[in-house]
Amino acid sequence: MVGPIYIIAIALGLAFLLGFFKKLNANIAQTFMMAGVGAMSFISVQWLFGHLAGMVTETVTYTAGFKPPFSISLQMGAMEAGVTSMINIFGFLGGVYLWRKLKEMGLNAIIIYMVTLMGLNVIVLTRDLFNLFVFLEVSTIGIVGLILLERGVNTISSGFKYLVAGGVISSFMLIGTIMIYKYAGSLYINDIITSNIAATKGGMVALFLLLIAVILELKPFPANGWALDVYESANSGISAFLSAGFATAMLFVLYKLMPMFPIEWQAMVAVVGGITFIGANLLGIRQKNAQRLLGYSSAGQMGLLTAVIGLSSYLNEQFIFILVTILLGHYLAKAGLFWLAGIVKEKEINSWSLLRREPLLVVLFGVFILTLLGMPPFPSFFGKWELIMKLAAGGQTTWILAILIGSFLEAVYLFKWFGYVLKGENEGLPVLQIKPEKIISPVVFATVSVMAGYYAGSLLGETNFAFYIPLMFIAAIGLLEFLPAFVKNTFAIAGMGYLAYTTLPGLFETDLLRFIFMGIFILGGILTLFAGYYYKGKRQGFYPSALIMFAGLAGIIQAETLLQFFFSWELMTIGSYFLIIRGKRSMTHGFSYMLFSLAGAYAILAAFGMVDAQVGNMLSALGGVTSHATLIFALLAIGFMTKTATLGLHIWLPGAHAEAESDVSPMVSAILLKAGVFGLLLTFFGMGAESAGNSSILYVLGWLGAITALVGNLAASFQEDAKRLLAYSSIGQLGYILFAYAMATQLGWIGGFLYVINHFAFKAILFLTIGAVVLRVKTHNMYEMGGLIKRMPLAFIAALIGIIALSGVPPLSGFAGKWFFYNAVILKGWYFQGAVVFFAGVIAFLYSYRILQTVFLGQLKDEHRHVKEIPLTFLIPIYILVIGIMIFSMYTHWVLEPITQYLTAYFPSDPVHWDGAAATTSLGYWNGTWVMYIIGIMFVLILGWLLWLNAKATKVKQFNMVFSGERPFTPETTHMAHNMYAGYNKALGFITAPGITTFWNKVAEFVTDAAGFIRRIYTGNGQTYAFHIVAYIVIIYFMIF
Amino acid sequence: MNDIIIKLLWTLLGLFIVLNWGMLMGASMRKIVARVAHRRGIPIYQPWLDLIKLYAKRTSISHGVMFYLGPVFRLGGGVGIFLFLPLIYGSEYWSNFSWAGDLVLILYFQFFGMLGMALGAGEGGHPNSVIGITRGLSQFTTVEIPLTLAVISLALQYNTLSITEIVAAQQGGVQNWTLFTNPVATVAGMLSLLGALRHAPFNLVKAPNEVPIGPPTEYHSAFLGVLRTNGAVLHVVEAALFMNLFFGGATNWAEFIIKTFLIYFWSVFVGVVHPRFRIEQSVVWFLKIPLAIGVLAVILYI
Repeated sequence: MVGPIYIIAIALGLAFLLGFFKKLNANIAQTFMMAGVGAMSFISVQWLFGHLAGMVTETVTYTAGFKPPFSISLQMGAMEAGVTSMINIFGFLGGVYLWRKLKEMGLNAIIIYMVTLMGLNVIVLTRDLFNLFVFLEVSTIGIVGLILLERGVNTISSGFKYLVAGGVISSFMLIGTIMIYKYAGSLYINDIITSNIAATKGGMVALFLLLIAVILELKPFPANGWALDVYESANSGISAFLSAGFATAMLFVLYKLMPMFPIEWQAMVAVVGGITFIGANLLGIRQKNAQRLLGYSSAGQMGLLTAVIGLSSYLNEQFIFILVTILLGHYLAKAGLFWLAGIVKEKEINSWSLLRREPLLVVLFGVFILTLLGMPPFPSFFGKWELIMKLAAGGQTTWILAILIGSFLEAVYLFKWFGYVLKGENEGLPVLQIKPEKIISPVVFATVSVMAGYYAGSLLGETNFAFYIPLMFIAAIGLLEFLPAFVKNTFAIAGMGYLAYTTLPGLFETDLLRFIFMGIFILGGILTLFAGYYYKGKRQGFYPSALIMFAGLAGIIQAETLLQFFFSWELMTIGSYFLIIRGKRSMTHGFSYMLFSLAGAYAILAAFGMVDAQVGNMLSALGGVTSHATLIFALLAIGFMTKTATLGLHIWLPGAHAEAESDVSPMVSAILLKAGVFGLLLTFFGMGAESAGNSSILYVLGWLGAITALVGNLAASFQEDAKRLLAYSSIGQLGYILFAYAMATQLGWIGGFLYVINHFAFKAILFLTIGAVVLRVKTHNMYEMGGLIKRMPLAFIAALIGIIALSGVPPLSGFAGKWFFYNAVILKGWYFQGAVVFFAGVIAFLYSYRILQTVFLGQLKDEHRHVKEIPLTFLIPIYILVIGIMIFSMYTHWVLEPITQYLTAYFPSDPVHWDGAAATTSLGYWNGTWVMYIIGIMFVLILGWLLWLNAKATKVKQFNMVFSGERPFTPETTHMAHNMYAGYNKALGFITAPGITTFWNKVAEFVTDAAGFIRRIYTGNGQTYAFHIVAYIVIIYFMIF
Repeated sequence: MNDIIIKLLWTLLGLFIVLNWGMLMGASMRKIVARVAHRRGIPIYQPWLDLIKLYAKRTSISHGVMFYLGPVFRLGGGVGIFLFLPLIYGSEYWSNFSWAGDLVLILYFQFFGMLGMALGAGEGGHPNSVIGITRGLSQFTTVEIPLTLAVISLALQYNTLSITEIVAAQQGGVQNWTLFTNPVATVAGMLSLLGALRHAPFNLVKAPNEVPIGPPTEYHSAFLGVLRTNGAVLHVVEAALFMNLFFGGATNWAEFIIKTFLIYFWSVFVGVVHPRFRIEQSVVWFLKIPLAIGVLAVILYI
């Protein structure tokens, strides 16, 4: 092993040597620098691997042959090795990134770069307090030097402010250090820890000054304006240095010094961190400047990590894991994002749509954003998970809430930004110039992030290799992006087929519930992917996104532990977000989808934490929960209801589904919504309805489902946009499903399963059909269509079957749902909720008729006289589903009888009796097959009779009609489509007034206004910032003592 | 095999009786209305003449397949309800195919004809048809609410959704009729019936002086004949449904005829003394007193 002292020696030596060769060719100087930094990295990394492999133990190097306290000692433990590796690797890649910039700035900059890096290394390694102070000064001045060498007006002023603030902080630190020396008689950290100087009042103050200085260096909210200005105005490479390098080192200092401080202070440290995490992220919401935004995020992340250090006593053996993974996430993401900021060169985040011109950059951006947020499969996901689990185990509910709120606020601005990148207007923006040296470093960091994610997951021992197979498959598809869409489509379908082959037979044997949902996910996936053959070109980004979603969906079915479930749940959310936001006008819809989904996911996470604390991490152990069962039940329900778009949490759905691409709408509607249903079922199955708390929540959910059905259906009836109509219809249908399951009786659940299967089939048919029609006629507005039955009869027939199945008219499968509902409602005693649901069911006829009439019937528009039938690639999956619905309607008992048996395990009373196709309950009876026969025969007879009477009817055009002696003008004025239910709207339209949307808008407005108000403390004035620091110290002082 | 044929023959006979009774009933109602308005009214055999004329028309035009199927769906709806409804209590043959499904089936089968007809009329391409249909559908949403509540009330009272069993429970004297054992549900149901039969004040759907007869505007010849046939059948079977639910059912055809006549007469009676509602008025009307009565009917049985 090369001793750690050489890290310093190399840096220092090179810095001095380079100084001698003033005239040296800049290229050679830089090569020397890179070689030096490379060597430093090598030393740290070899120590790191040594520690990981268990080959070395914690090693202390003594300088100048003396033992401490008479000399400075450098400690190279596992943590030090890790942190210096991070710093040095960053130094190396940052050097690559800054290659041109450093050359431009000259030899001095190169020297300062080396010295700063060395300073950071020493800060980490040293065990001497004064030494720490000195090198902190060295690195601060070094950073300021790098900032100032840029020579912009803003950079100079911000650099100066940084210097002022740094000066104030270090003076406190120095005073603290001096006082500690007085009381402890040593500057050796290990001595100070053992000397217990906190017992004396002066020693306490000394420690306080030291601690507060370290905390201030971590830029706590609100005393961090000075740092934000620097992040904003410095060169992005330098900002990255500040955020990834300097902050990492400072955090380690806090970690290192923590044992010196009284144990009671941990709470204060945690609170300071928590406030920073929430405060900084709150203010980030209003931020439009990319680098300043990253500054806020950086402060926020440091806040979170500070809080983690403060909370270490709750985290026990997982403390280091949590700290390292979150730190790593911050380090990789922040460096990467700052680097990207340098490539984009646009200040405003809404100009980052520029990134889209280079798909690789979008991928990198995505990886960094997700890493930062702690989404799977990145390392901080596992860190945050463990953090929440451990806090829950310690009963720290407030802390869980605080961390989730902070994370949510962070997600708000990060996904707003992401939205701009993916969907923002990029016309008229300058050309993106990517220099090779600038792209290498972000690519390396993104790769490291993915690998670190895998490593972190396997450290937890939960996500094994099998969990990553789908992800590797997706990555492979991602690498094949250059291939045409149909090739990738074939691969994707083959992948789904393989998934079906490996999972479905097993599930059929073991678990019918999972089999049904898996069947819907896979079958739906294959059918909707098939429609994708329509699309020409490469269809960039579509396949990885879709497959991530499907991998997530399959994952939640297969998950056995809470972590696996949550991992897959988040994966699905990410994939579906990318899919949804692909729509033309989907930026805001994708954004609101993500926010609701994340809020829901956090509710689930909190609930899982409480579950894990009580009964361990198995999903099947949900039923064993004893304390807070009602709260957990409610949190899970709320979390899953964000996906089922229950009223109140639904406002993302109409836009997201309506604006999505033609084959994406059915994916996110017919298939994705079922994930929420599956989650609800897991909760209901797992936790049961027996307890008073759960049953009263179910009672509320029942009403909620009924009202959702009513409002969703009513709103659907008033839409002018065909896809929006279907989207609102989904809200209504999911309302039925929620209602059915909330009944928690066998009949209710049979009805629920029936609706789940039925809704999958007919909504896929309808969305595929209407989506394909939209592709042909190029509009969503129904009043701009009409008479299309003549041009696309096959589409009409499919839509007709879909609508009949939806509306519940016998003999198709929808009626079975109604029948079970009537029986279930009356036996359960939910008469009024039931009446609302049946009312909603009748309202469904309004939109059912509207979509068929205004799209396919009535007058054909002139411009559609030559429009073609919908594409074959859509027709094939549509008709497979149509046949499926017909069979399901005819032989409903083939599916429902096994479900009945399956449910008997949960509801032993067995209120429904099957005899072939005949179902009997204590109330009524119904024989689906016979109803089908009777109606079929009758229909054929009447049709035959009419044909016999009227075979020779002359065929005429739509326009040839009786019109009170007048001739109608144009098809447009003769097609009754716009504002179709005017009278009904007058009577009941008030119910659909967008009260909930207004409510959420007000909430969002309030939060952003609050952020805007608080933001005013950052005046941009250096004196104010210095005052903030002093005031902060005083306030914290009085809070502690 | 013989059984099935005999069953079919009886069913056809029943349909024949119901159809003719429907036409006779319709004609007499029209006569009553005319007399109220101091007119002589149509001859009593007018509906038969109309029907023969319509079926015999030689000119006919079609706007397309769905247009063609509309009347088929419509008549299928009427005949379907007939098929699933037990007509005469205690008679195996006159209970038709009611063993295939219960009250819920009939409630939802009403939509079969409505939706099919709406689509057929839609392909006719006439805006007046569509206006009529939108009004009809709108009105029907709230018409159903009191009936739904009444049905729930009945299900609680009799603990069944089987029409035959509901009728069975009402046997043994007038005092056992739902009318007397559950008057509140009966009132709710009968108010709902007013909307379902679409006489004034709920007849905006076909309002002749606004949207010339509404949905069937474009229908003529045998198409219209089929629709008229359905009208006759449907009115009788709807009245018969209410008879079964609230008025003790019928044990023979005479009872059947008297009861259905009176039930149907109820809506005509209300119609002749009330002006027509606008659609938003009728929609809201059902959400007021009828809804309150329906809720009360359920509350009484909780």
